[in-house]
Amino acid sequence: MSEKIVISPTSRQEGHAELVMEVDDEGIVTKGRYFSITPVRGLEKMVTGKAPETAPVLCQRICGVCPVPHTLASTEAVDDSLDVDLPKAAKLLRELTLSASNLNSHAIHHFLIAADIVPENLFATAVNSVGEIRKNAQYVVDMVAGEGIHPSDVRIGGMARNISELARRKLYSRLKALVPKVNAHVDLILDLVEQKGFPKGLGVVNQPLFASANIYGDRDFFDLDRFTEVLPESWYDDPEVGKRACTTIPLLDGVNVEAGPRARAAKFRGFTEKGVIAQHVSRAYEMKTYLSRAIEILDELDTSANTLADVDLRGTNKLGVGAIEAPRGLDVHMAQVVDGKVGFYSALVPTTWNIPTMGPATEGFHHEWGAHVIRAYDPCLSCATHVMVVDDEDKSVVKDEMVKI
Amino acid sequence: MVLGTYKEAFSARSTDKAIQKVSQDGGIVTALLSYALEEKIIEGAVVAGPTDEMFKPEPLVALTSDEIISAAGTKYTFSPNVWALKVAVRQYGLEKVGTVAIPCQLMGIRKMQSYPFSTRFLADKIKLVVGIFCMENFPYASLETFIKEKLHSSLDLTLKMDIGKGKFWAYTDEENLSLPLKETHGYEQAGCNICKDYTAELADVSTGSVGSPDGWSTVLPRTGSGNSLFAKAVEAGLIETKPIADVKPGLGLLEKLSDGKKSKAADEIKKRVEIGLPVPF
Repeated sequence: MSEKIVISPTSRQEGHAELVMEVDDEGIVTKGRYFSITPVRGLEKMVTGKAPETAPVLCQRICGVCPVPHTLASTEAVDDSLDVDLPKAAKLLRELTLSASNLNSHAIHHFLIAADIVPENLFATAVNSVGEIRKNAQYVVDMVAGEGIHPSDVRIGGMARNISELARRKLYSRLKALVPKVNAHVDLILDLVEQKGFPKGLGVVNQPLFASANIYGDRDFFDLDRFTEVLPESWYDDPEVGKRACTTIPLLDGVNVEAGPRARAAKFRGFTEKGVIAQHVSRAYEMKTYLSRAIEILDELDTSANTLADVDLRGTNKLGVGAIEAPRGLDVHMAQVVDGKVGFYSALVPTTWNIPTMGPATEGFHHEWGAHVIRAYDPCLSCATHVMVVDDEDKSVVKDEMVKI
Repeated sequence: MVLGTYKEAFSARSTDKAIQKVSQDGGIVTALLSYALEEKIIEGAVVAGPTDEMFKPEPLVALTSDEIISAAGTKYTFSPNVWALKVAVRQYGLEKVGTVAIPCQLMGIRKMQSYPFSTRFLADKIKLVVGIFCMENFPYASLETFIKEKLHSSLDLTLKMDIGKGKFWAYTDEENLSLPLKETHGYEQAGCNICKDYTAELADVSTGSVGSPDGWSTVLPRTGSGNSLFAKAVEAGLIETKPIADVKPGLGLLEKLSDGKKSKAADEIKKRVEIGLPVPF
């Protein structure tokens, strides 16, 4: 006799989502479905018809968790559409901004899973460690990109300004001093994940890896011809779920994929483990990757170099792609600038890619582990939502009428 | 309190010949900022730096005394220093910032420190604000009009501008041109007419020429930190002082001008309110 276990909303993640699990008599999940119930943002509609500089300013406000990757993806999409050649220093400053921001974001995730893995006697240690890392990482974003949350100085054509030599030296020494702290933090998290005793094989999936680069992101990886998008009604075999789900299902070569730290580690760092533990481990290790790259950039940055290219904002009608490796996976923004205005805009964001993979990842284990599997993906839903609930009474999405984006 | 709160009043000047040579009056702003920089009270200062166009300043984040000195001398048009405070804290990486501001800019800075909207982590990093006495401020086009049209000279020939003794002065190599102040009326920013602050009452230290003899400045240390900085700079021999009571024309003139600005502004505010115009305070 199969029973349905519903966790709604799934907790300690950004946004609202629901996990529906069918379980057998032993409580083992036989079918897992995970879907977003977060209302649509509609940012893509808002930027259409506006000046191209507006796109990053509005799109960074999709969400307060990943404002930096969205800013960068949006700016890069417009840069690409306008055929801008970025100055080298601008590229470095953008990558520095992303590295610091992702380091900060991974630390936040450790705060979110602290209740799962950290024993009471270590709680203060773990939370303080998260705070210390975040403070320093956000300081870098503040200085390099103008603001830690909604950076003002990432501009079409590069960065508004270079940092001073004094700032470079300060950031360099601060991040150097952060190295032992991050190392200790990573060791702590690895220990705690091991001690938690997640069952072997929990959350293992064998979907294609959706990762474009080790750190920053590579727009050439995103091939529009291999990409399709289906509506939730045809993806979920439960009509009730299909009706209420708020995201489209993006597919690569017709299948759902896995994005995020583990995908990047597997593709670019020779990491072979899979599943929940592997996701926590790769996310923790990735903090070191980001920190060492940030330090490397500060070492090679020429603070007297120009950071802003000349830009012709009239546009070339080209469909520009911005692909940024956000903490939770590849964040793709697409923009087409026509006659000085945004003619078309679309955002394909990290968690959207993971949503169809996350539900099935809960299968084969007791449903009590379901929420742990979901949290291992660090889902973040507000930017992922692209379908509108039309009927407020029964919260249904009007059939086949997704917001055309 | 027609001059705002202050600890003590002095007539003072910088003892540094290099500063005296380029400064407007006593070189107090330059001396104080340079001293604060050397003593590591600040890591840098936002000043009204020079540009390619004569007398058209631009905010400069100065990290050395030389850069501070390059900004010496009064420019009678605006330099949006408040805007550059954020750049100083962000891309320049300064954690202790000094700046020089006229009264309206000071109001903005103090308000920003109370309500730091879009200025996260900035309010606490402003360690020193030197305020300058200001009756009014002119758009650049007004200065061009005074020099080119009214005085039939050119900005390139002008070495220094000054306001004093009821006149607007422009000094060139060959002559000292002057214009009665009433001929400048109407060319100032409209906002100046409703401003009641002449002596930069919200500064840490305020300074300006009025009240002191030529080559000297009147100084009003106002806050605890401003007062101790000024005292240390005097003790270090970088600034020499005279009691304000011993100099002519003295505080009386400063009080008279400050009082005049307040009552004139009050009248103008009343007039604007009567005809339904908004006034900021």
